[in-house]
Amino acid sequence: MVPRTSFLRTFWTNAVFAPRTSLGFMRIDFVLGTVFVIPLTQMVFFAFVVRLGDAGASASALASAVQFTAIGNAVATVTYSSVFSVCQTTDSEKFQGTMEHLLVSPASRLAMYFGRGLIPILISLATVTVGLTYAAVFFGVSIPASSIPSLAVSVVLTAFAMVGFGLLLGGVALYLRTSIILGNIFLFVGLLLSGVNFPLSQLPLPLQYAGYGLPLTWGLAAIRAAISGEPLGSLAVLWGAVALAGALSFAAAISLWEVFERRALSTGSIARF
Amino acid sequence: MNAEVRYAYSGRRSTFASLRLAVLLFLADPQWLIPSMIAPVIFGIVSFELFRGYGTYYLTYAILGAGMMSMWGQTLYGSGWATSQDRNFGTLEPTIQAPTAYVYVVLGRVLWNVVSGLIGGAIVYAVVVAVAGSPPALPDPLAFVVLFVFVMLTLAAVGVVFAAFYVYTRYAGFIQNIGEFAFYVGTGCMFPVILLPFWTNPIALFFPPTWALDALRYASIPGYVGFSWGFWPDVLGAVVTTTAYLVLAGSVFHRVERHVLEAGNLSDY
Repeated sequence: MVPRTSFLRTFWTNAVFAPRTSLGFMRIDFVLGTVFVIPLTQMVFFAFVVRLGDAGASASALASAVQFTAIGNAVATVTYSSVFSVCQTTDSEKFQGTMEHLLVSPASRLAMYFGRGLIPILISLATVTVGLTYAAVFFGVSIPASSIPSLAVSVVLTAFAMVGFGLLLGGVALYLRTSIILGNIFLFVGLLLSGVNFPLSQLPLPLQYAGYGLPLTWGLAAIRAAISGEPLGSLAVLWGAVALAGALSFAAAISLWEVFERRALSTGSIARF
Repeated sequence: MNAEVRYAYSGRRSTFASLRLAVLLFLADPQWLIPSMIAPVIFGIVSFELFRGYGTYYLTYAILGAGMMSMWGQTLYGSGWATSQDRNFGTLEPTIQAPTAYVYVVLGRVLWNVVSGLIGGAIVYAVVVAVAGSPPALPDPLAFVVLFVFVMLTLAAVGVVFAAFYVYTRYAGFIQNIGEFAFYVGTGCMFPVILLPFWTNPIALFFPPTWALDALRYASIPGYVGFSWGFWPDVLGAVVTTTAYLVLAGSVFHRVERHVLEAGNLSDY
């Protein structure tokens, strides 16, 4: 019988090694840029776009629109570390020639997936936290102290769900030649479909439905609700939706991996992609 | 044939070979046009959505901004990335050791990037116009097209300078990814630079696309309020800064090549 490594050991090994091997853009300079520079520049960019678009609006309406955009982009920048970086894991495995070794290893796939997600979840938490701090300091977004606990829960759930979504895209990328195109699509599509820069209700109905299929939409809604001090009852519903989106993403990612694994082993065509 | 003539011939041949290779690589896998198209298309639609209902010419803003982003992706990003690609492929050292100046090789890639930038700009234009349901109101479409190409050439000039500096650093990808939004903000690709705090304007004026974009908006958007000096000084500023960038690029390439050949430390970066 093949001895199985423990769940925790597989989890920890993947958590430690994935940033150095399979996750994309995990060099320290990229990580610092993702956490500290991109949120600010993206928020400034869209704030000025809103200023131009709302040129005729009153000062308070303009400030409110800018703050809406600032919060949206503060949260949306999480896609760099959680989606774009994470979905490249399978690409890296294929190009480095380690996919075959992974497929024949007895390691727990669940531990592997959760392990790979650990550092991106932490970076995503840092990105959203820094982004929201910028929103408060530079764009006048008011974050009452009383809302911080519920905001923290929303941010953690969003980071978890977004990394799950990144892993799901990585699972889809198992069947593709490259994940870069997929990664690029979902890096930015949230800006349009998730209510980042304008309410989702402004979009045509089919696009609204598409938006509701993205974890970012629910995560952002939960964060906005927490900042505006909504009651726990309505927050709980949004938290449930974010958690569900995350859990479904992780489950779908693992299922895709299992199907790919079976096909690869039965056809012997692992390297054909 | 004297040495100078031989050198010029070698430069032309290298540029053509480099251009040909860039075209072949693109044709072998044209899907790589998509990643650099997604962000501009989405940003164009988002901006259109934000500008919706604020006047006829705001569609032009959205298209110009998104087109500029597409050009960033193809022209500036592609040109700057070329050096990193050489480094990854292991072809940087042999290319720099070759008797032809490296700038001619980069020039070939830049030329193709300009063409693919135009293709990208056309796709962005088509998508945003399809979403908006009507083309933008352009007082002078010919001037718009000419100035659009001109903006791209100014971007290419920035790309050539970046490519020269990237010989020295392995942080090319970092600089381009992290600096992307800062460049969009600094050059006013989606909004007039004069909306930014005044102290940022002199910095923005160091970049040729800032001048060229302002000129393009003066030509395309009646009633546009940009830099107070108006259209022609904008064009002049763009020509001067672009020329300065090209001269700087030539000088930097020359020094970089000589330095790495003397020091023999191209691999240490």
